[in-house]
Amino acid sequence: MDKSLRTRSNTGLSRRSFLKASALSSGGLLLSVALPGCTAIGMKNQGMTDGGEWQSNAWLRIDTDNRITFILDRVEMGQGTYTGLVTLLAEELEVDPAQVQVEFAGVGSVYDNPIYKLQITGGSTSIASSFKRIRMAGASAREMLKQAAAQVWALENTSSLHCNNGQVIHRSGKTLSYGELASIAATFAVPEDSALKSPDEYRYIGKYNQRLDALQKVTGQAVYGVDVELPGMLYAVISRAPAFGGTVKTVDSSAAKAASGVVDVFPLQAAGRSGVAVVARSYWQARKAQQLLQIEWQTPEVAPGSDAIFAQYARDLDNEDGEQVRDDGDFSAAAEQAASTLSAEYQLPYLAHATLEPQNCVVKADADGMEVWAPTQSASMARVAAAKHSRYSLNDIVIHTTWIGGGFGRRILQDYVAECAVIADRLQQPVKLIWSREEDTAHDWYRPASLHRLQATIGADGKTSGWQHRIAHPKVFEWFVGDAAPAQYPFMPKFMFPMLAGAGKLGEGILAPKDSSGYEGANDVPYALDNIDVRFIHSEPGVPVGYWRAVGFSHNGFVTESFIDELAHQQKQDPLTFRLELLARHPRAQSLLRRVAQLADWGRPLPGCHQGVAIHKSFNTWVAQIADVQVEGKTFSVKRVVCAVDCGQAVNPDMIRAQMEGGIIFALTAALYGNITLKDGAVQQSNFHDYALLRMPEAPQIVVDIADNQYEPTGVGEPGVPPLAPAVANALFAATGQRLRRLPLQLA
Amino acid sequence: MIRLTVNGVEHTLDVEGDTPLLWVVRDVLGLKGSKFGCGAGLCGACTMHLNGQPIRTCIMPLSAVAGQNITTIEGLSPANATLQQLTPVQQAWLALNVPQCGYCQSGQIMAATALLASNPNPSDADIDNAMSGNICRCGTYPRIRSAIHNAARLMNASADHPQAARNSELFSEVTLLQATNTEELSHG
Repeated sequence: MDKSLRTRSNTGLSRRSFLKASALSSGGLLLSVALPGCTAIGMKNQGMTDGGEWQSNAWLRIDTDNRITFILDRVEMGQGTYTGLVTLLAEELEVDPAQVQVEFAGVGSVYDNPIYKLQITGGSTSIASSFKRIRMAGASAREMLKQAAAQVWALENTSSLHCNNGQVIHRSGKTLSYGELASIAATFAVPEDSALKSPDEYRYIGKYNQRLDALQKVTGQAVYGVDVELPGMLYAVISRAPAFGGTVKTVDSSAAKAASGVVDVFPLQAAGRSGVAVVARSYWQARKAQQLLQIEWQTPEVAPGSDAIFAQYARDLDNEDGEQVRDDGDFSAAAEQAASTLSAEYQLPYLAHATLEPQNCVVKADADGMEVWAPTQSASMARVAAAKHSRYSLNDIVIHTTWIGGGFGRRILQDYVAECAVIADRLQQPVKLIWSREEDTAHDWYRPASLHRLQATIGADGKTSGWQHRIAHPKVFEWFVGDAAPAQYPFMPKFMFPMLAGAGKLGEGILAPKDSSGYEGANDVPYALDNIDVRFIHSEPGVPVGYWRAVGFSHNGFVTESFIDELAHQQKQDPLTFRLELLARHPRAQSLLRRVAQLADWGRPLPGCHQGVAIHKSFNTWVAQIADVQVEGKTFSVKRVVCAVDCGQAVNPDMIRAQMEGGIIFALTAALYGNITLKDGAVQQSNFHDYALLRMPEAPQIVVDIADNQYEPTGVGEPGVPPLAPAVANALFAATGQRLRRLPLQLA
Repeated sequence: MIRLTVNGVEHTLDVEGDTPLLWVVRDVLGLKGSKFGCGAGLCGACTMHLNGQPIRTCIMPLSAVAGQNITTIEGLSPANATLQQLTPVQQAWLALNVPQCGYCQSGQIMAATALLASNPNPSDADIDNAMSGNICRCGTYPRIRSAIHNAARLMNASADHPQAARNSELFSEVTLLQATNTEELSHG
């Protein structure tokens, strides 16, 4: 997720407007979020369970039988948010995190990510944006339970009480359980002054390392989107135009329609794609019938191949000044006065997300409305997509989110929801749509390809005087705004959606923050150089693009950390020392670099290896990595990666370690293999034989060190990605003298 | 009609014989723990055991396994198993927090279980060989490797002390292994 969706407020609501307590008829306590002015929006059935009391804006429920239920308003796709947010709640509520039952939130504006004003899980924001809100909810409930106990025991105040393990405990030793107190607590107003615990009082934050979703996932019990099953459900598959923008010219579906189990075959338009849907009684029947379709595709007028796209980027870099996104000092003057210059061109490919769970969706549409089950990173945008592609209005549509088999940004887009909504609306029967791996690879919203030109100027003193970085890259936001803008205005009628999407585009930088996905990580290059000029040249090849783990940082991290390494070598300096000197304004980065150097024994590589270092800040988190790489002829293997991360206050240290490990392997996959190429406007890769993912034998040893501090928590899911490719490329330079300026990395 | 035994239960199925076993188990028998990842035998998310051997069920026609014994992730331990009822492989997975998104883990666990059944003390190279067909997009490989070693130790420990198997000490041993391993992970 890029900064374009960020707004200035990132803490959300004040405590006064924040929480509301109410009683359940069963006697329990319900804490919900009070949002004046929004209560009129009908969100029927959302989050409702027994008795209809589970309100759409609920967050926390304590039942008389001591059950504690927490509504998770972020999705769990592997990043550990489920454990992390429960840990925050449990810390202040004084319960064991494992005792908290979790339900996934439906659509509700109270669940909006306060950073994006959208109900979205992305941008490594879940812990950072929830750190205060959820602890405040837990602390408020705790204080109300103490007040309830004070009332039962006829105490004047709560000063003789404390909470532990789901109980209020009096100084004398007598106890009452939360369940016993819940109905009394529900009669109180939410206090405005519930103090949060200080870090030295933390019992779970920074210490709790049990992954709460692990048991369901080692027994096969977790229900992912693709596992949802409804009575009478049909199965759908879709043949989509191979070239982006292609359409169905002719289709002969007679053989497919006659095939066993087939219910319907029809052309369909959804989410900007054209195709033919096959619906059958079983998945395999649908797949077999799909093979019998005779489709002639209308190729779009513009159907570029990869070479043409990079040629377009080069042309635009030649001809356009672009938008200046960083302007320190006077680069032109530095260039005129330079004793020498260093120039380089870097090129990065399109990348697919390749979530192991292919895109899928289940939709049930009937006279009562539409229900959608989807592994989506944004329930609110899923609802917009379903409304846009059906006869139902937003208020008639209920979204259920599921466990997610990998997101990495792919599921911020809602095309699978759109397609399944079209099919279910037509058939008025429950339908499950499943994409094949081949369809998933060929119809992704790709990490954009980009082309970068860099120039550094070196003064008469031999030191770097200037840095220019020019980037040709599309705007991701323009591919995303269609579902995002209407989701921000759920009270708008459907016919307004195109207007909102249009306004969303025009409003970039005004209504919505600027789309920085092309230049984030480049405009904020951290090195202390007097003259810096970073320019974004908007170049749009027409290939659908989206948010891919670490977004703009994923390419700019590689480019800036490789080029700074080039400068270090050009000036015959140690790459680590060179960086340390230029990071004087960033003491946290310096200390992280020293730490990673110490752990990796910088300068003393593993036997047969060479080392490379990189450091990059993304999502407000610094990550430094040192890769030990062994070269054999034209091949190489990464033996070890040492990673130091500073993400502020650690909530679940082992979750952070896992995200660094995963980010490193995700990034190493891209560095070694990732390359989506196009021919005649269509993607050439299809499955894991030609879009390879890293496998066990290639996984390096990974060592992770987490900085111990109590700054506000910052992102964790994505920041492990950007430093890896440059650390490996820099090690390859150390080993071979070859500077690799393209990904995937390939030795000559 | 095709007969098939899945997790010890015999079924007689009226399903087209070319249907891959994966879809029969998932959609006809309703066991959703085995996952669809690639449809081409390339990722291992669909791994089940055929007479104890790991197979890629997304490309295995039902007719080819007629009359055979199939085990899925659901067959390893009872439904709603307590920690002690989990297999050593599952326990080791849990103790090391192996899963992230978790989608591949049924297949990983089935592959690891088959490995340890035939090789109680696998080396890193043995693990590489046995597990290279199973993709994890979240990158849990280092933990899978450690978990397999830990599971091997657990199984060997219970073989040496049969009476100790499946009791709570077993799990605390896993927890101890976790502590040691986390130390290794974070300090090289």
